[in-house]
Amino acid sequence: MDTGLFREYTTDGFFDEAFDAGGGVREHYRSLIERLDDIPPEDLERRERIRDAIFRTQGITFTVYGDGEGVERTFPMDLIPRVIPAEEWDVVEAGVIQRVTALNRFLDDLYVGERAALHDGIVPRWLVRTAADFRREAFGIPVPFEARCLVSGVDLIRDHEGTYRVLEDNLRNPSGISYVLENRVAMTRVLPVAFARHRVRPVDQYGQLLLNALRSVAPPAAGEQPLAVVLTPGVHNSAYFEHAFLARQMGIELVEGRDLVVDEHVVSMRTTRGLRRVDVIYRRIDDEFLDPVVFRPDSALGVPGLMSAARAGNVTVVNAVGNGVADDKAFYAYVPALIRYYLGEEPILPNVDTYLLWDDEQRQHVLDNLGSMVVKPVAESGGYGMLIGPAAEEDEIERFRELIENDPRGYIAQDVVQLSRHPTLVGDHLEGRHVDLRPFAIAGERIEVIPGGLTRVALRKGSLVVNSSQGGGSKDTWVLEHDPISVGDDDGEDA
Amino acid sequence: MRFDIRYTSRFDYASPISESQNALRACPTSDDRQTVSHYRVVTRPSARVHSYVDYWGTRVDTFGIRAPHESLEVVAECTVDTTPSRAVTVGPRPWDVYEERFRDEHLEFLAPSSHVTFSGEVSRVAAEKAEQAGDDLVGTVLSLHRLVGTSFEYAPGATYVGVDVDELFATRQGVCQDFAHVLIAMCRSIGVPARYVSGYYFAVQDDSSDEPDVDEVDVQTHAWVEAAIPEHGWLALDPTNRQQVGERHVKIGHGRDYDDVAPLKGTYIGGARHDLNAGVHMRRMVAAQEQQQQQ
Repeated sequence: MDTGLFREYTTDGFFDEAFDAGGGVREHYRSLIERLDDIPPEDLERRERIRDAIFRTQGITFTVYGDGEGVERTFPMDLIPRVIPAEEWDVVEAGVIQRVTALNRFLDDLYVGERAALHDGIVPRWLVRTAADFRREAFGIPVPFEARCLVSGVDLIRDHEGTYRVLEDNLRNPSGISYVLENRVAMTRVLPVAFARHRVRPVDQYGQLLLNALRSVAPPAAGEQPLAVVLTPGVHNSAYFEHAFLARQMGIELVEGRDLVVDEHVVSMRTTRGLRRVDVIYRRIDDEFLDPVVFRPDSALGVPGLMSAARAGNVTVVNAVGNGVADDKAFYAYVPALIRYYLGEEPILPNVDTYLLWDDEQRQHVLDNLGSMVVKPVAESGGYGMLIGPAAEEDEIERFRELIENDPRGYIAQDVVQLSRHPTLVGDHLEGRHVDLRPFAIAGERIEVIPGGLTRVALRKGSLVVNSSQGGGSKDTWVLEHDPISVGDDDGEDA
Repeated sequence: MRFDIRYTSRFDYASPISESQNALRACPTSDDRQTVSHYRVVTRPSARVHSYVDYWGTRVDTFGIRAPHESLEVVAECTVDTTPSRAVTVGPRPWDVYEERFRDEHLEFLAPSSHVTFSGEVSRVAAEKAEQAGDDLVGTVLSLHRLVGTSFEYAPGATYVGVDVDELFATRQGVCQDFAHVLIAMCRSIGVPARYVSGYYFAVQDDSSDEPDVDEVDVQTHAWVEAAIPEHGWLALDPTNRQQVGERHVKIGHGRDYDDVAPLKGTYIGGARHDLNAGVHMRRMVAAQEQQQQQ
């Protein structure tokens, strides 16, 4: 590894996914790294071209919102996959299932139940009532199996010790699964031999799993063959590609608000052969735009009368309306307590320690140490509006000081977590770059987690921000099967 | 007092519209002051009505009409018995509203909301009144109530829903919704939880007499305010009519402001121009009851 891709590789004291502190290759990366070492650097360019061609023909883009216009660009997949051994994944999977179970139970209790966690003081009532995404309009609308977070994308990071921790829950409209599936397709063509040498658990069952789950939460009024659709805000949405992709994967219709109509509290889709009753709507439209009768009256994206149809028990809206209350970044701090409360279990995946800024002592500590803190607005997602203390200029730190003092409920702070790093292609060699992991869980009668998920990588050297909207890339993520069987020596060339 | 109430909204459209979807909040609530014994909704064209009780406790009737139509009439009829408001018998101090549990319980009625903002002038005037009233919280609230009732001019058409409180404070003109929003803003600005109430009011021409001399009136939906008083509960005040809420007030429901309890919300596809005829017919049944008792 002195001459090949790893010739300049150092772990720099970070937890590295592939190498231990002494620089030795971790067991589950041995096969991959041996294979990578066989690849001459000049061959990499060719493989990158293959990758780019695959992604271009798939039309994979991601719109980045910034100060100016949204721009479309390809969402780059790094050539080096991430490998997760079976035993490690078992813990992650169990932890995600546990977390989503507790969150679903809480949300169901909040919107249609006794609100036990509030009465018993597990979560302060005021915190819920002041959450921007607490939807009073959704009160009393049931969801089968409590599957309010039917799709969730829990963001995990690994700290300097390699401990997986939850960073945020993403219970509204988590995106990124399309990249998981596309990355896998691309990877099997870019590194076919390396892929074949590993027993990688598949991800391409996602569409079927999602469709089954969607049908399983159809209201009782639906027949034997419930009709599900994907509802998109339209081509201008940053994740439109994914909406179309998912509809195609599931073999169901992709519709916009104007394609649906509500009559007698029943939702139907306009087709060339008349109306077809719709039972389940996988909507990728934010709550506020969903139904102008109930929410923003100026929204042209939604379906007038949809909430009333859901209330009448004629359609299920997925994910449920109002999940954002539990996505509030201050609420996040209470999730471990909710797990203990609703499930009577210790959390399998710990949180990142979080400072709640309405508490005088915690706020003062944060204000005194802003330069070493990460500060996030509670209601944002996608890495927008954050302060990363160590990387911030003085005036930005001062701006956040003022923001916090004016609205302590509006922000949370965390110590900077040194995210684990992963070998990542930089030019003609590999360097360590920070990564996180977003596993996708699907809830229905039971909760299933797609093996792996989206590994996001901060492509900029030293950057801790992995969001695709902030210049991040992605990696195919290989969860290995239990009891790996040696495939034997394979002298084949990667095509 | 017993009332038969008929709420009507009739829309006549310049050209046919379709796919209308509506949410009606016209059904009086049942609480310790009033009881509803009959309620029904009829629409023309007819539609299937799905009803539910919302987060705030208000009954909502939802209905849609998909086929093209040139007019829409919504009629809600009810019979309600009301009693006078409970007198305030406690004398809480202004600082009692800062008690933690009291604040937590009423949090939603303390914060600014879309129609209830309170910046400079509103807060300043409220603070001044509070200062004058000294240690008497109920007295403070009543003086704010009187201030709104006497310094604002009732001027139909002067405002639109959505005008903000500071603007109202400058023009000092408005309708009942505006009076309510201003009083709510002043209460909240001094820490007194206050909520918006939508309802019906049996109004008569001669406001000087407590006992109206007619048994039937044609009015509009009305709005007033409820302020939370520690150890008492909600104190209901009607600043538009410069009186405390009594038997002639029939409450539909409450919320943070108009948006939470607007009588009729809806959307449709078609031209924007329409004529609206909305009204409330109220018939007082007291005499009939008394006659029955005499027999």
